[in-house]
This record gives sequence, structure tokens and C-alpha cells, in this order.
Amino acid sequence: MANAIGIIAPAGHYMRVEGLQDFRPISAFSFLGRYRIVDFPVSNLSNSDIERVQLYVNNENPRSLAEHVGNGRIYNINSKRGLLQLMFSHESALSDIYNTDVKAYFDNLPSFERCHEKYVIITPGYMVFKQDYDKLLNEHINSKADITLLYHKVNNADTSYRNCYTLELNRQKGFKSMRINTGTVADRNIFMDTYVMHKDLFIELIKKARKLSAISRLTNVIHAESENLDIRGVQHKGYFAAITDFRAFYEANMELLNLDKAESLFSNDWPIYTHTTDSCPVQYTASASVKKTMVANGCVIEGNVENSVIGRGVEIKKGAIVRNCIIMGHSTIEEGVRIENIVVDKWARITEKQNLICPENQPGYIRRMDII
Amino acid sequence: MAKNNMLAMVLAGGRGSRLKDLTNKVAKPAVAFGGKYKIIDFPLSNCANSGIDIVGVLTQYESILLNSYAGAGRIWGLDSKDSGVFILPPREKADSGLNVYRGTADAISQNIDFIDSYEPEYLLILSGDHIYKMNYDKMLDDHIANKADATIAVIEVPKKEASRFGIMNTANDGRIIEFEEKPAHPKSNLASMGIYIFSWKQLRKMLVADMNSKTSNHDFGKDIIPNMLNDGKALYAYKFKGYWKDVGTIDSLWEANMDLLKEGSELNLGDSSWKIYTEDATELPQFIGDDAEVKCAYITQGVQVHGKVEHSVLFTSSIVGAGAKVKDSVLMTGAVVGEGAKVTRALIADGVKVGDGAVVGSAKSDNILLVAHDIEEGGKYYG
Repeated sequence: MANAIGIIAPAGHYMRVEGLQDFRPISAFSFLGRYRIVDFPVSNLSNSDIERVQLYVNNENPRSLAEHVGNGRIYNINSKRGLLQLMFSHESALSDIYNTDVKAYFDNLPSFERCHEKYVIITPGYMVFKQDYDKLLNEHINSKADITLLYHKVNNADTSYRNCYTLELNRQKGFKSMRINTGTVADRNIFMDTYVMHKDLFIELIKKARKLSAISRLTNVIHAESENLDIRGVQHKGYFAAITDFRAFYEANMELLNLDKAESLFSNDWPIYTHTTDSCPVQYTASASVKKTMVANGCVIEGNVENSVIGRGVEIKKGAIVRNCIIMGHSTIEEGVRIENIVVDKWARITEKQNLICPENQPGYIRRMDII
Repeated sequence: MAKNNMLAMVLAGGRGSRLKDLTNKVAKPAVAFGGKYKIIDFPLSNCANSGIDIVGVLTQYESILLNSYAGAGRIWGLDSKDSGVFILPPREKADSGLNVYRGTADAISQNIDFIDSYEPEYLLILSGDHIYKMNYDKMLDDHIANKADATIAVIEVPKKEASRFGIMNTANDGRIIEFEEKPAHPKSNLASMGIYIFSWKQLRKMLVADMNSKTSNHDFGKDIIPNMLNDGKALYAYKFKGYWKDVGTIDSLWEANMDLLKEGSELNLGDSSWKIYTEDATELPQFIGDDAEVKCAYITQGVQVHGKVEHSVLFTSSIVGAGAKVKDSVLMTGAVVGEGAKVTRALIADGVKVGDGAVVGSAKSDNILLVAHDIEEGGKYYG
């Protein structure tokens, strides 16, 4: 068991995924047909032998998330020694700017003071990647740094990663500065909102942050304290997606239709756990034609599907053409429909012979339970 | 056990030797079926969906996998307080030493103490090797309404196949007059499904007598049921309508898988009101590749298809390589069909690799070819 408590951070109020987020927090978004975003951070922690996990939720429709994670059993978290706690924020939605990570941690300071683990690992509930935190913790301890930050080097920060922070490091990978991505430069280190530090330092920083400002975030206090602390960056390699806006969500799914990419995120020795719904295998009929597509169980496919992600229990009827789409769980695409470059949220129904085509660089969205 | 006071015992000790190499290392109830299931998921899910809380699973032959699998009652939701799945292999007892189960009835007799500890009013006996969905609670309703001593579930089979089954000859009201095991000239087409409800107190007495009998085979079909009929007990047939299949041979196992491909399949595993539960695999959703062709197929999680699949069932994590052709076949868990290989009318066993360019099975074969060992690159195998 690693000597750390895992904290899954809530998304900042400045992040907004249009459409989808009206119905659930980003961490509860369905992803690649059968997962929810939160499965990635929790599985990472569980696979790293971190058995005590706090999952922070803002007060935006937490039902689906609470239902999904349950008591953590699905994530292979030890049912006696381990613990997965859902931490609800009490702040009203009216004063959304007060809904900061620091506020949420401050409200729960006693739980950090009480816990036996020596370190904290903070990781976001809105990013998708694979990381061995036990390894990162050891790196942190061996480096004798005060804080270790995880970042990912990208060459498309000018067009993507809005709402993310960029990290500027010196040659020794020491911290220079951190600011919200302005989109002016393509080559950037994107901060993965992942921190490793000693629990005592964490508590100290939270208290300091509250004195700094009523709306300060962990990033603000780290910036303010960076002169006095040894803060270092560690580069993450492999698949990385930040689900911080609608296009990022769409592209993250589509990108994983490249099997090599998918295999860098999923491997047998690093299972990504999720909730099972006991749906049956997928039935493909004689009229089906499917190419380059991920399909979750429980679907019936009679039509044509290409370059798409199909969620659980979806029906695609005869003659329908689905291209470059994400069809989320239990939606129905009726006969003769043509639908391209669109995210269809859960339980929606596209009725016969509709033509719904969005431009390739501007994917569209059909709301949950809508009938079109 | 509050709901219907019926405890279920699943007979899962048989090898199923006609399944050949598939049961070398596992008992028949642990054999995989329908993409993601094991055969024993069917009786256990039926129990869970019928409101039966206590299920004993009688294991004997190669039971390691079955013991650990079925012991986790939570797969079927049978893990709340007052419910559970109990694995009951033969065990040493103070008064009788260690004896293997000598027959289906003996397996129950040796666990009388287990059953007594729950004081059930009724006992349901199931076999662990049939594919079907059935509400046992409805059968119990009939048992109670008929004031029966025993109720046996039966299914109508085609007359010409009736001589392969245990046949029940009944009166108009469903009361069983005569039981014939595999009759040469069947008088009816009502075949026993090997599903019995007994009133426990009565059965208990008969089992105690049967245990000490020197001439008995200690078998429900051969001893207990005929004896009850001779004694004039009230035995009733419960007519089951729906899909039911004994997957005892490679051909019938293949056939049952192929039945899933029919549109509007009678088994309808997609019915959310009567789900069949199974262990969840932590695998990616299935991926259908850029050049794949998939028609009439039943495919589950973790599968990758890069070639052509027609009229076939693909189990968890099986892979069809680019340019490969799989037709009228079953790829069991983790089976791999290499690039350009051809698989026709075959059942590829768990984890078996068919090498690139190999040819396996033939469209003209009488029987389904079981492939239980790897086939080398470019190899040919027709059985």
C-alpha cells in the first residue's frame, strides 16, 4: 500500500463543456462507449496501491457520479483497508466563483489531519491519462522536492487545451511560472493538474490560500509560494486528454479510434475499471456495415457506422448512416437517418430519415433524451 | 430466504466428457457461452431473478475454477445479508468419512445438514449445464396450487427426438403417470428438463432411505422419481415454454451459440427485465477495424475484428486478424485468428491461436470442428 491519500479534484468553474455538462459533472461524462471520465483517475490510484481516495464533486447533478462509483468496489479498492469517499461541496451555485478546489479541501481539513497517510496525490477528475502514482511518489520522495507537478508536452496548445494551465520550467525542471493557456504558442507544457506533496505542506498551503483570497485556487497559492518552495515538474508520456471543453471531449474519443493510441492508454497490466451493467454482447445483423468503430455491449447494429464511438445499448437501424459520431448509451438512430460529426447524448432518438450533418471541425450536440 | 422459502441446489459436478477438450480442465458448467457468459450463469441468474436467495452449488469434477467463480455470489447479486452462493464439494464428515458424490441424489443427501440449517419448505434442484431463462417462482406457484409432492419442469421436444430424453407421460391435469428414461417408443413429447421442486421434509425422508439402499444408483432420474411414482405420490409436470438447450456436445454448444444470431432470438439476452449476470471483464469495448466486415455476428467486449466475420459468435478478447475470414464459427475467450487465416464451421477453444494464413474447418463438414490446440502459420486442420 502506497503511503498516500488520493484526491480527485473537481473541475474549475472556468471549465465548461457545453451541452453535456448541463446533465452531469465532467467526471461523470461517458467516455469511449463504456467508461466515465472518473474511471481513469480512480483506476490509476487503485492500480498504484493507493487505497484511500477522496472524490470531490461540485453541486452540479452529482447523482450519476454517486451511482457510478458506489463504494469503490468496482475499482478494486480494498473493502476493509481502503476507502473511496465522495466529497460534496456545500457552496451554492449562485456564488459559483467560491466553488474552488481550495474551498472544498479547506472544508475537509480535519479528514486530512486525521488520516495516517503521509503524502497527498492530487489528480483531476476531468483528464484522461495513465499514470503509476506509486512510481511518481517514489520519484517525488527521492528528489527531495517539496512539490512535484505532472505535465505533458504538447505541440498544439495554440488550438487546443483551452482552460488548462501551462507550466514554465527551468532547465533543471524547476518551477518558473504557471498560467492559464493563452493559445498564443503551440509548443507548451500543459500542467496536468496533478500534484504530489507531503500532507503537512498541503494543509499549510490550503490554510495560506484561504488567507490569500476567498476565491483562490491551489494554483494561485503555489504560484505565490513558489519562491520559498522546491517545486519540480515531471513529464508524462503516453495518451493524454483534458476534457475541458466540448471539442476536447469529442476529439479525445475520436483519437482513441486509433488502436495504437488506445493501447497506450489501456493495457492488461493496468486495467481501467468501470461499472458493469450486465448488458449482452452486440448483435450485428446481415445489413450491418461497420468500420473503424468502438462499440460497447448491448447494441443492435443494422445500419452503417464509420469512425464512431457507440455507447451501451444503442440501436442503429437499417439503412442509417452514422459517421464521425459519438452515440451515447441507449440512444436510437432510426432507419434511413444520416448523421455526421455529432455527439448524441444518452437516451435520445433520431427519428426516420433525418439528415443531421455538422461540419467536420465543428461537431454538433443532441441533448439527453431529446427526440429529433 | 424470506420471499418464497425455497432453497436451490445446482448440480454442477459433471465433467461433460462429450465436450471433449473443452472440459479437460474445467467442469461443464464453467464452459463459456454466448460471448461473455459461463453456462452456470444461467441457473444462477435465474435463481437471482426468481427471488431465490440461497443457492448451493454441488461441485466435484475439476472444480477449482468453478469454486472460485461461483463463490463470489455478488456477480449475481446473491451477496446481501441472508443470501449467498455456497460451494459444496464432497467433504469429510464425523460419521461417514470422505465420499465422492455417488449420484445426483447422493450429492443432495450428503448436504442435508446444509439444507436443514436454512429450514426451507421447498427445495429446487437444478442442473448446471443448460441454457435457458426461467422463473422458478412461477413453477413453485404451480407446485403449491397442485399440492404436489414433486414438480418436474418439462419441455415439448420434437417427437422424433423424444427418445433422447427422459419422457414424462401425464394425465390431462398435468399429473405424471409414468416416467420413461430414453424410451425407444415415446408415448409423449414432454422431456424432463432436470429441474425439480420438492417439499423438503418429504424429500429428506426419501434421501435418508436412499442413502442406505445397496441397490440404488442414488440418482433423481433413476431412483427417486420412479420410487415416488411407485409409491403413488403426486408428481406434476410444469410445462415450460421458451428457449432451452442442453449444450452437452460440441455440435449442440455451437448450435446454441448460432441461435443467438437469429434476429428475434428466443433466448433474447438483451431483455433488461431478466438479465443474465456474469463476471465483468475489464476490457475495452469491441473494436471493428478500418477494413473489417461484420455481418450476422454476436460480438462482445474486448474483441478486435480486422478481417471478415460472418455468422459467428466472438467471445471476450478474441481477435480476428486483417484479411482473415471467420464463418459459421465460434471463437472462444482469447482465441486469435491470424492474418489471412480462414476458419469455417469450427469452435476455437479458449486462448487457441490459429496462425497467419492457416485454414481450419470446412463448409462441407458433418460435424463442427473443435480446435483445442494452436495451429501453425499456414497450417491446415480439418479434424
